[in-house]
Amino acid sequence: MKLTALRLHNVKRFAGRGVAIEGISDGVNVLSAANEYGKSTCFEALHALFFQPHTGTPKAVQLLRPYSGGNPMVEADIATDEGRFRLTKQYYGGKRASVTDLASGRLVAQADEAEAFIAGLIRGGTAGPAGLLWVRQGITGIDKRSNTEEESEKRVRESLLSSVQGEVEALTGGRRMAEIAAACEEELYRLVTATLRPKAGGRYAATLEERDKWFALEQRLATEVTTLRDALDKRRIALTRLAELENPDEDAARRAAIVAADKALQAAKSHSEALKAAEAEAALAANRRDTAARALAEFRAALQRAEALRQQSSTAQHRRDEANERRAAAIAANEQAIAAVQGAEHDEHEARDVLTRLDAALQARDAAERLTDLRHRLLQAETARKQVEDGEAALALLSLPHQAVDQLQALEIELVGLRAAQAASLPTLRLDYAGGAAGSITIGGEAIPDATDVNFATSLRLDIAGIGTLALRSNRPPQSDQALDRAENKKSSMLAVLGVDSLASAHQRLAAAREKNTELNLARQRLTDLAPKGLPHLHEEIARLTALSAGDLELKADPEQARTRLAAATQQVAATRNSARETQPLRSQADEAVVSAETTHAALQAELAALEAVLGPENDRSSLEISLTTEHVTQKSLHDATEARAVPMRAAAHDLAGAEAASSRTRSVQDAAEQQMGQLRVTLADLNGHIQARSDNAVEEAWREAAESLAAAAQRVALFETEIAVLDRLRKALAAARSAARDLYLKPVITELLPLIGLLFDDISIVFDENTLLPQSVRRNGQDEDVDRLSGGMREQLSVLTRLAFARLLARDGRPTPVILDDALVYSDDDRIERMFDALHRQSRDQQILVFSCRQRAFAKLGGNVLQMQDWTPPA
Amino acid sequence: MFRFLHSSDLHIGKRFGNLPEDLRGRLREARHGVIARLAEQARANGATTILLAGDTFDTETPTPAMLRQALAEMGHHAPLRWIVLPGNHDSLLADQLWEAARSVVPDNVTLALRAEPVTVAPDVVVLPAPCTARRPGRDLTEWMSSAATADGTIRLGLAHGAIQDFSEDAAASDVIAPNRAVRAGLDYLALGDWHGQVTVNERTRYSGTPEPDRFKHDKPGQALLVSIAGPGSLPEITPVDTAAFAWRTMPLHLLGDEDSAMALDALLPAAPLRRQTLLRIAASGRTRLGGRTALVASAETASHDFAHFELDETDLAMDCESDDLDLIDRAGALREAAQALLMESDDPTRSTVERDIARAALVRLFSYAEAVEP
Repeated sequence: MKLTALRLHNVKRFAGRGVAIEGISDGVNVLSAANEYGKSTCFEALHALFFQPHTGTPKAVQLLRPYSGGNPMVEADIATDEGRFRLTKQYYGGKRASVTDLASGRLVAQADEAEAFIAGLIRGGTAGPAGLLWVRQGITGIDKRSNTEEESEKRVRESLLSSVQGEVEALTGGRRMAEIAAACEEELYRLVTATLRPKAGGRYAATLEERDKWFALEQRLATEVTTLRDALDKRRIALTRLAELENPDEDAARRAAIVAADKALQAAKSHSEALKAAEAEAALAANRRDTAARALAEFRAALQRAEALRQQSSTAQHRRDEANERRAAAIAANEQAIAAVQGAEHDEHEARDVLTRLDAALQARDAAERLTDLRHRLLQAETARKQVEDGEAALALLSLPHQAVDQLQALEIELVGLRAAQAASLPTLRLDYAGGAAGSITIGGEAIPDATDVNFATSLRLDIAGIGTLALRSNRPPQSDQALDRAENKKSSMLAVLGVDSLASAHQRLAAAREKNTELNLARQRLTDLAPKGLPHLHEEIARLTALSAGDLELKADPEQARTRLAAATQQVAATRNSARETQPLRSQADEAVVSAETTHAALQAELAALEAVLGPENDRSSLEISLTTEHVTQKSLHDATEARAVPMRAAAHDLAGAEAASSRTRSVQDAAEQQMGQLRVTLADLNGHIQARSDNAVEEAWREAAESLAAAAQRVALFETEIAVLDRLRKALAAARSAARDLYLKPVITELLPLIGLLFDDISIVFDENTLLPQSVRRNGQDEDVDRLSGGMREQLSVLTRLAFARLLARDGRPTPVILDDALVYSDDDRIERMFDALHRQSRDQQILVFSCRQRAFAKLGGNVLQMQDWTPPA
Repeated sequence: MFRFLHSSDLHIGKRFGNLPEDLRGRLREARHGVIARLAEQARANGATTILLAGDTFDTETPTPAMLRQALAEMGHHAPLRWIVLPGNHDSLLADQLWEAARSVVPDNVTLALRAEPVTVAPDVVVLPAPCTARRPGRDLTEWMSSAATADGTIRLGLAHGAIQDFSEDAAASDVIAPNRAVRAGLDYLALGDWHGQVTVNERTRYSGTPEPDRFKHDKPGQALLVSIAGPGSLPEITPVDTAAFAWRTMPLHLLGDEDSAMALDALLPAAPLRRQTLLRIAASGRTRLGGRTALVASAETASHDFAHFELDETDLAMDCESDDLDLIDRAGALREAAQALLMESDDPTRSTVERDIARAALVRLFSYAEAVEP
C-alpha cells in the first residue's frame, strides 16, 4: 500500500476548514514546516483514519475534534495492487466511512464494510504488523516500559528489545503477552511443578491427598460394612436356628422319642432274659436225658464186657503158669555155664601172673649189665668235654681276624713301593774306594761301603779321615714323604690293634690258631660219639637203669612153659564164655514170656474188677438195668417239654441291639440339640458384641459419607485436572504463538536491522542473542558497554531503523508499507541525521517514507519529494 | 372422616459427604427437624395420624443416639400417632435397628414390622407392607388383597418401593402393582421410595420426601394431608410444606449477546430464602466470551448468599467473534494464540475433551487479557 494524498477537514486546529497534502510519491516524502503548523494534526488524523472506527468516540477521536466542536473528517488516497482507492471517514455528526475506487469512481464499501476494508489494509492478516509503521516525536518506546519492568536484568534488556522491536511489540504481544503468560504460569505453578506433577503443599496436591484419604477410609468402612452385614446375616440365621431348636413342640417330640425308645429297649431286654432262662432249662434237660441214656448204654456194655473178660482171664492164667516153668529151666542152664567161665578165668589169671614175674626178673638183669657200660662211657665223655673247653679257651687267645692280616700285608707292600720311590728320588752317594782307602770315609762313625749307592734325605756329614768333614745337603722340599708317613702310621696303628709287632708274627699266630682249631674239632667229635644225645641224657639213662636193676633178679620157672600154660588158659576162657553166651538168650526169652503172661492176666483181672464195681452185686443187676431204662425215658420226656417251651420264644426274638441303638440315637439327638443351642447362644453373644460395636459407630452411615466424600473429592480432583489442562494448554498456546512470532518476524527483522545499524554507526556494533533475540551488548571503540547506556539519540535512531527494517521485511513479503516519521529525530545530531537520510534514501528505493519535521533547515538536506499543505474544501 | 399425614423417606442420619463440611451439619439437623415440622402440620390441619412410608432412617445401623432421639421426638408429639414402616434402606433385615427401636419405642409410635392390619382409629385399619429385605424381589403388597377387615372399615395401604422401574436405587425387579389400591379395596395407598411427589392414581400417591436431599426432583419438600370421608369415598389430598431447605435447579438459557449477569440476577430467588436454598444454575444456550466471564463472576458473588451454589456450564456454548478476539488483542502473538485456541475448540477432528479444554483456555486467556491493561 502506498499513500498518495491526505486530506482532512474540521480536525483539531483546522476548525471549519480543511487542508490537503497531495502528490505523495514513492520514496522519501518530506513535509517540513514550523511547529504548530499542523504536521502532528495530519499525523493523528491519518492514524485515526486507519485505526479508529467511525462509530466510536474514544479519547483518540475526541482529541481530533476542534474546541468549537464539529465533525472531523479524514480522507486519504491510497494505491494498492488491487487499484487506487479513496478512504473517507467522518466522526461524530454524520459519521460515516466509505471506500471509493478512484479509477471508476465507484463506491466500493460503506460503514462496517468500509471498516473491514481498512482493517484488511492495515492488518494484512492478524499475524502481521500494522500496515503503517509509525514513529512519533520523541517516542522511543523505551521509557514507558522500563518504568514498570526493571525487575531484572533480563527485563531491562527485554524493554530495550521492545524499543528495538517497536512494532514487534505487537507481534509478540509484548508486555501484555509477558504479563498474561506470567499470570497463567503463576496460576499453573501454584498447582503443579514444571513437569506437571502435583506441587507439594499446593491445593491440587492437598486435594489428591484428601481423595486418597477418603478412598482408604471408604475401603476400610466398606469392609466393615460388609463384615457388619455378614454378622447380621449370620445372627439372623443363628436366631432362626435357635428358635427352631427351642420350639417346645420339637423339644417335646424329641423327648417323646427318647421315652418310646427306652420302652422298646426295656421290652427287648426282658424278653431276652426270659429266652435265656428257657434256653438254659432246655439245655439242662437235654443234658440229663443224655446222661441217662449214657448210663444205660454203659451198663449194658459193661455186662457184655464182663462176660468176655472172664473167659480171657482163665486162658491167661494158664499161659502164665507155663511160662514160669520154662523160665526156671533156662535159669539153671545159664548158671552152669557161668560157673565154667569163672573156673577158666581163674586158671588164666594164675598163668599170666607167673609169666609176668618171670619177665620182670629178666629185665632187671639186663639193666644191671647196661648200667655198668654206661657209667664207663660217662667217665670218658666227661674227659672229652674237659678237652673241648680247654681247646676253645686257647683258640680264643690265638685267633686273629683274617682280613686284618690281609690288609696289613697289602699295606706292607705299599710301604715297600713308597720307600722305593722315595729312595729313587733321593740324592745318592757312591764311593768307589781306591785301593787301601776303604773305610777312610765314615758317616757318623760308620764307614761308607765300597761301590754302593748311599741315599740320603736332607744332609749328610762325611768324616774323611785325616781331611775333615764333608757336608752334603740335598736342599729339597720334604713334601714327598707325606704318603709314606701316612702308610707308616696306618701300619703301626694296625699292628697295635692286632697285638703283634710285625707282619711275620701275625702270620705265625694265624698258623698256631689253625693248629689249635684242628685239635679242638677232634675233641668235639669224640664227645659227640660218647654222648650222642648229650651228657644230661646219659645221666638220666643211668638213673633209669639203676631203678630197673633194683628188682628181683631170681628166675623160678621156665618162661617157655609158663607161656604155653597161659595160652591154654586163655583158650579155655574163650570157650566157656561162648557157651555161657549161648544160654543167656534162652533165659531172657523165658523172662519176657513170664512178664507178658503176668501182665495180660493182671490187666484182665483189673478190668474185670472195675466192671464188677460198676455192675454191682450180681443179684441186683437186672433191677438196676430196669431203673436205668426208666430214668432215661423220664429225662427224655422232660427235655421234650422244655424244648417245646423254648421254641416259640426263639422265634419271637427282639432286636436288642437295634433297640439300644435307637435309644442312644434319640438321646444323642436331644444332646446335640442342647449343645447346638448352647453354641448358638455363644455365637449370638459374639455376634451381638460385633454388631453392637459397629452399629453404635454407625459404620454404614460413615461409609456412605466416606463414599460421597470420595466422590466429591474425586470431582474436585477432576476439576483441578481440567484446570491444569486448561492452564497448560493456554501456556503452550502462548508460548507457541510467541515463538512463532519470533521465528517469523523477529529474526528476519534483526537480519534486516544489522546492515542498517552498520550504515549508521561505524563505531558501534550491537550483538544480539540468537536465541532470546535480546541485544546482548554494545561494543563501542572496542569496549563492551551495557545496553542501557545508549543515548536518547541512538535510541530514536534505532527506533527508526527498526521500522525501516520492518518495512523492508514487509516489502520483501510483497506487502509494501509506508513508514511515517513524525519528528522522529529530535535527539540526533546533524551528522547522524545525514547518515540517517542516507539510510532513508537507500531504503526508499522500494519503500514509501513520509517524514514530518519541524527542523526545516536540517531536513532540507534530506532531499526527496517535498510536500506542501494546501487548503482544501471537501466536496459537498 | 379420617385425616392423616402421609410422608416418607426422611432418611434420618444421612450425612451428605459430598457437600461442604459446614453445610452437612445443617442438612443433617434439618432431617431430624422434619419430625417436628410434620407434627406441626398434622396438628395445624387436624390430622391425628402420620404414616411414614419407609426409609425413615438412612441406614440399617443408625447410631443409638440418632435412633433414640428420632423416636423420642415422635414421642413428644403425643397424642399424634406415628406409624413407621421399614423401607429398603431400613428394611426388616436391619434387625439391630428394629430391635433397638422396639426397646425404646414410645406409646404413640407403632412400628409396622409385620404384614398384618394395624387399627389406628375406630374403623380405620392400616395394612402395612414392610420391606423384608433391601430388595425383596416380590410385590409385598400382595397380601393386602386377601387381608380381611370388618365391613365399614377405612382401609389404608402403606408400602415402600417402585411402582414401575423408576426406583431410587434403579434396580427394581420387584414392582408394586400400580392398581393395588383397586385390587385390595384400599381407600388410599401411601407409598414411599420416590423422593419427588407422584400421583399414581386417585387413591395412590408417593408423598416424596418432606426434606429433599438432592437436586434430582426439583420439587419442594412436602407431605400429603389426606382426608377420607368414609369407606369407599375418594380421598381429598393436599400437599403441605415441610422442608427446611430447598434444593432448586434453575435453567438459565442465554442468547448470544444477552447480559448474562443480569439474566442470572433475575433468576435468583428472593434474598431471605437464599440461606436455606441449595441452588444449581443449569446454564444453556450461547454466550460471548465476555458474557461468560461476567456470568462466572456474577455467580461467584451470588454464591455466598446460598447454602450451596453450583453453576453448571456444561450446556453453555460459547460464541466467539473476531471482535471478541479483538478484546484480547487486535494482532500479534496474543491474537495468534487466541485464534489457535478458537480453531482448536471448533475443530471437529479433535475429541470433545480437547475442544472443551481449548475453549476453556480461550476463556481464561480472555479473562487474563481483561485484567491486564491494554
